[in-house]
Amino acid sequence: MVFSFIVIPLLVAAIMPLLGKISKKLIPDVLTNAALAFLLLNSILLIKPIFNQGSIIQNISWMGEKVNLQIALDSFNLFMLFTISLVSLAISLFSIDYLEHYGHKANFYALLLVMIAGMNGLVLVPDLFSIYLFLEVAAVASYALVAFGLGYDELEASFKYLMLSAVASAFALLSITIIFGMTSSLNFQDVARGLQDLSARYVIGVCLAFFIMGFGLKAALVPFHAWLPDAHPSAPAPISAMLSGLLIKVSGVYALFRIIYSVIGMTPVMSQVLMALGTISMVVAAFLALGQKDIKRMLAYSSISQVGYIVLGLAIGTPLGIAGGLFHLFNHAVAKGLLFLNSGSIQHITGTRNLEELGGLGKRVPLTAGTNLVGSLSIAGVPPLAGFWSKLVIIMALIQAKQMGYALIAILASILTLWYYLLIQRRAFFGQMNEKWSHIKEAPFWMSAANVILALICILVGIFFTPVFKTWISPAAEALARGVQQVMMWGI
Amino acid sequence: MIIQIILLVGLVIFAGLAILAKDLLKAALSLAVASLFLGIIFFRLSAPYAGVFEISVVAGLITVLFALTISLTRKNDQVQEARLVKIAFPLFFILFLIIDGLVMKSLLLKVPALPAGPEAGTFGQVLWKQRTFDLIAQIGVILAGVLAVLALFRKKEEDKDE
Repeated sequence: MVFSFIVIPLLVAAIMPLLGKISKKLIPDVLTNAALAFLLLNSILLIKPIFNQGSIIQNISWMGEKVNLQIALDSFNLFMLFTISLVSLAISLFSIDYLEHYGHKANFYALLLVMIAGMNGLVLVPDLFSIYLFLEVAAVASYALVAFGLGYDELEASFKYLMLSAVASAFALLSITIIFGMTSSLNFQDVARGLQDLSARYVIGVCLAFFIMGFGLKAALVPFHAWLPDAHPSAPAPISAMLSGLLIKVSGVYALFRIIYSVIGMTPVMSQVLMALGTISMVVAAFLALGQKDIKRMLAYSSISQVGYIVLGLAIGTPLGIAGGLFHLFNHAVAKGLLFLNSGSIQHITGTRNLEELGGLGKRVPLTAGTNLVGSLSIAGVPPLAGFWSKLVIIMALIQAKQMGYALIAILASILTLWYYLLIQRRAFFGQMNEKWSHIKEAPFWMSAANVILALICILVGIFFTPVFKTWISPAAEALARGVQQVMMWGI
Repeated sequence: MIIQIILLVGLVIFAGLAILAKDLLKAALSLAVASLFLGIIFFRLSAPYAGVFEISVVAGLITVLFALTISLTRKNDQVQEARLVKIAFPLFFILFLIIDGLVMKSLLLKVPALPAGPEAGTFGQVLWKQRTFDLIAQIGVILAGVLAVLALFRKKEEDKDE
């Protein structure tokens, strides 16, 4: 049942603090992972019905009484749900061992589940105001999770993140208010129909600008990125993986492109603006990443750069471009999740994230070094890993759309990406081993298992690129490329 | 028109004071006054439900919670967890729910129905039958807030339990 994507995490989160009183570790670990495994299985089981029917509209009644609990599922949001469920499960598995030194697992898992419920809700609701509310559900949980360590840096980063996120939400809400004022509706289908009948080009332009500022801030696109390099490294490693791997994509990229394509309708001007923003993010953040000494900070800048690729792909507007953008969204969610978890493993093993203090770790921790190499090469776009194919599709789509300049910049930015990822690999895992790391041991079982699972996905998706792309990415891209017609087909 | 301008100017001044005041108690009270102005503006703009919620929740509940918390702090000192907090907060919360429930019930019966439109209906109908998902999301936000307070105000020394 589609509704379970929202209800199950919320229910489990609500009882988690109470269960935490009975068992501080076992029950929270088992229950959270079981709930997330169920959601992953559920998203896999929904693939067939979506292929057969195109979309699923579910209306839920409350004790026989008709209420407005309406969910719209098509191949695009199913793709997002699967990505969220898969990466969340890996992160949750990693947390079993990683959270041992933080304690208060029940609180942590409860907030994590609320964040997941918020993201799932945002992806499923066909209503502008409900999108805003679920955005806030995920955001409030993420503020607390960033500050979970309770250190000065964590609290400061969380406060900065909260302030900028509130500004982002305000912009999005302002735009929703204007649209409601013009169309008297918030439902995707009615708004899309209402906007088509209106000749209010300039007002819609203002709304789009607000949406780009609001969701651009959430997605940390340059120049709205200032909060991310502080917030993501300060959080515990599993939360950094959630934020960089999923949250910026769901609350930024998904929300922005769902509204632009399916509600307002993409225009050539909008396409150019978004392509330019994506390209600036891609290049500027790649240069900023080069100068970092803290692994997580470098990864945070890399996230901004890779979101630039995703936005560039999605903004082209052609089915191939959208497919490339979505494929890179998935690949980046998996690989960046993996790399942030790996940084957590490194910190767990050595107690530091400073690249200048590390060196030669590969000899003592080959599993962590190996999975880190797979994640790095995938994001950098080295064949045959998954990231190579998604970048290739984006570049092919740019060439197909005769955007040669953007294609060239995308290739050059990819080389920069490879450069700074090889820097991490060389400084942390290769070279002369620092004497003080001679007695370190590999990360605990669940941390290594989560890393290996994500690394295997990077490899397998790369090897089985053709079936994955044809059967899974292309239908999701087609749903988005149909534009406003897609929500009209829902028949709400 | 003049009344509207006075209300708007008052709202901006007190909202500004809430940010600028160095004394936390004065800042909290300024926020309450700003909310009061906003509540009145909502009433005047034919949005009585929004007005009722703004005045009862923001100007009422939140301000008292702020004032209670601030009164427990001392100058140049960290917040000490007092036994009073454990008793006062739940007591106050239950008391607020009872009083607020009674006041809201009588107020909502008196305020007129929303003007006709696509989202029209009685307050309960709009909230329950048309904006049901918003209610679930609001439960999610409140749950996130409660869990955030539990996580961030935990005792750090208990971190390495078991």
